[in-house]
Amino acid sequence: MNVSSKERPSTQTRVLSYAGALLETMDSALADHPNVFIMGQGVDDFKGIFGSTTGLAQKYGAQRVFDVPLMEEGMTGVAIGAALVGDYPITTHIRADFSFLAMNQIVNLASKYRYMFGGIMSCPMLIRLVVGRSWGQGAQHSQSPQATFAHYPGLTVVMPSTSQAIVDMYPQIIVRHPGPVVSIEHRLLYNLDFSVSAGTPAKPIPLTSYVAREGRDVTVVATSVMVLEALRAAQYVAEKAGIEVEVIDLNSISHPDWELVIGSIRKTGRLVIADTSWLEYGVAGEVCRQVMMRDPAMLRQAPAMLGMAAAPCPTAKSLEDIYYPSQHETVEAILTQVCGSRHGIELPVERSMTEGYKRFRGPF
Amino acid sequence: MDSDERYRRLFRTALTIRLVEERIIELYPSDRIQSPVHLSIGQEAVAVGVCDALNVDDLVFATYRSHGFYIAKGGSLPKMFAELYGRVGGVSKGKAGSMHLSAPEVGLMGSSAVVASSIPHAVGAALSFKRRGSSRVAVAVFGDGATEEGVYHESLNFAALMKVPVLFLCEDNGLAVHSFKNARQSYNLLEHAKTFGIEARRLDEGWDMLAIRQATLDALSVVRAGRPFVLEIATGRYKEHVGVGDDFHFGYRNATDIDAWKARDPLLLDEKLVAELKPEIDREIAAAAEFAETSPFPGRDELLTDII
Repeated sequence: MNVSSKERPSTQTRVLSYAGALLETMDSALADHPNVFIMGQGVDDFKGIFGSTTGLAQKYGAQRVFDVPLMEEGMTGVAIGAALVGDYPITTHIRADFSFLAMNQIVNLASKYRYMFGGIMSCPMLIRLVVGRSWGQGAQHSQSPQATFAHYPGLTVVMPSTSQAIVDMYPQIIVRHPGPVVSIEHRLLYNLDFSVSAGTPAKPIPLTSYVAREGRDVTVVATSVMVLEALRAAQYVAEKAGIEVEVIDLNSISHPDWELVIGSIRKTGRLVIADTSWLEYGVAGEVCRQVMMRDPAMLRQAPAMLGMAAAPCPTAKSLEDIYYPSQHETVEAILTQVCGSRHGIELPVERSMTEGYKRFRGPF
Repeated sequence: MDSDERYRRLFRTALTIRLVEERIIELYPSDRIQSPVHLSIGQEAVAVGVCDALNVDDLVFATYRSHGFYIAKGGSLPKMFAELYGRVGGVSKGKAGSMHLSAPEVGLMGSSAVVASSIPHAVGAALSFKRRGSSRVAVAVFGDGATEEGVYHESLNFAALMKVPVLFLCEDNGLAVHSFKNARQSYNLLEHAKTFGIEARRLDEGWDMLAIRQATLDALSVVRAGRPFVLEIATGRYKEHVGVGDDFHFGYRNATDIDAWKARDPLLLDEKLVAELKPEIDREIAAAAEFAETSPFPGRDELLTDII
């Protein structure tokens, strides 16, 4: 859903970190909409959800930005009640894993309120989840539940991969989107700087997928931080082997632009899926389902899949490093799709992916 | 208002609930209503007394056993019957059924079939009222079983911390499906609420509509001043947990458990007033059922609407 710079009224850019983009959109949501409030564990403390809400409680007051007890289900229920009477709540979970304590309210209530009551009620709200990775996040600070939430009709699930995605998308969601939205943010992205268009989009941007890099040889459908990994790999194979990778940022997990995705796969005939979660019953399976339903013959060969190993996340760095797909494996998957397994092309040095995100040194 | 006139008004609403549910019992074998029903026969006085003490714009968040609250809050009978019949003329075009009745135009904000799950919604609405400086209140309606769920405790804690205008209303019928309270609870509800600094009161006379109304008004004077309140009202579920039958023959409880309630039940005792009011209410119910009968079933076009 990012709009490329050529479609923007202004070609000027500025540098904005992911956390900075979040803070900016939270700030303007509070400034623009008196019915917006933000609640979550620690939203008003000095760390401000990794810098994404810092200072907002001081600026807008404790009525608009406030801490809550440790009550994930209760907090989400409170948000639903407030939304039903016209407020717009933004809730936060500093790890996506903690949102599982709110599953009853998210899945049994929020996702169904509009449909179950025949359209006479709705509970629009934004639920922000932060996925952890690296620095020993372990089994319960590392889960990436996009497939879990996108499974349920009534929920809109997005995974912004850049600052641009946030500044484009959040103003479209907050107050304006009619239903509950689960946004899955990635901790590794928070401290990264991105180039962001200085102009505002000429027209409202749909919450859907976009082409992050154009190419003709192979399509990589990626989510969240794996979009960045795909773009790094694409640059590598372009330089080493002249291979042009088309990278699609799925961005909206619940409502992708399937025409865009399928159009790209038809064009290249080759597919790599790079997701931040498990492959089993997940985004990878859904992308393949969409291909199978339309025309399996659009693929010249079996697609490649990159995701977390089919285990809970281990804490030890030696295991964590092989638990997630590395840059090495991403490049290998792309080269094998295009040139076969005996491609003979030099691979990048095998190293921990998080070496590329050195600014994240923990602890959380 | 003359207290006789008030009694008649409350009695009429309670009788409407009873007669509606007795009509549902008659209709059920015809399969016109093809979904679970949880009858409130025996518990009508609670809904009637509480809702009479509320303003129209005060909000009620209720449960799957909410025919009583729907009617007591002023919901439309034709739309209710059409909803039970699964017709487009229903409150929610037939997508809700008995377990998810609502009437937002008169402040019934939805009924959940997952026990305790609507309790925090009332707290959230009350939080919004407080933020706006409104004098409105929200009422969380739940059964005694719901107080065993974690979210009840979360809701009490948050409501007390934030000082929001919410009334926690416990309909204590002593049963969670077929389980008795002494097998489920190690706490006293009132003492428990007080540990949060929340005022709490129990009313044992759950058949007495006027007493319930007054107890609710008393509680609301605290709630409207910005302090949550727990009001526990003892009541008796005459029918089985779900369905339209009696359940004494299963042997898990005795008919005598309910006899004490029936012996006090004004809808059984005041035969003269029943005889006087019944014909008109019967006509209203017949008209509502007729409306439902003639309303179309939702078609395929409804299957995928109102999802997001």
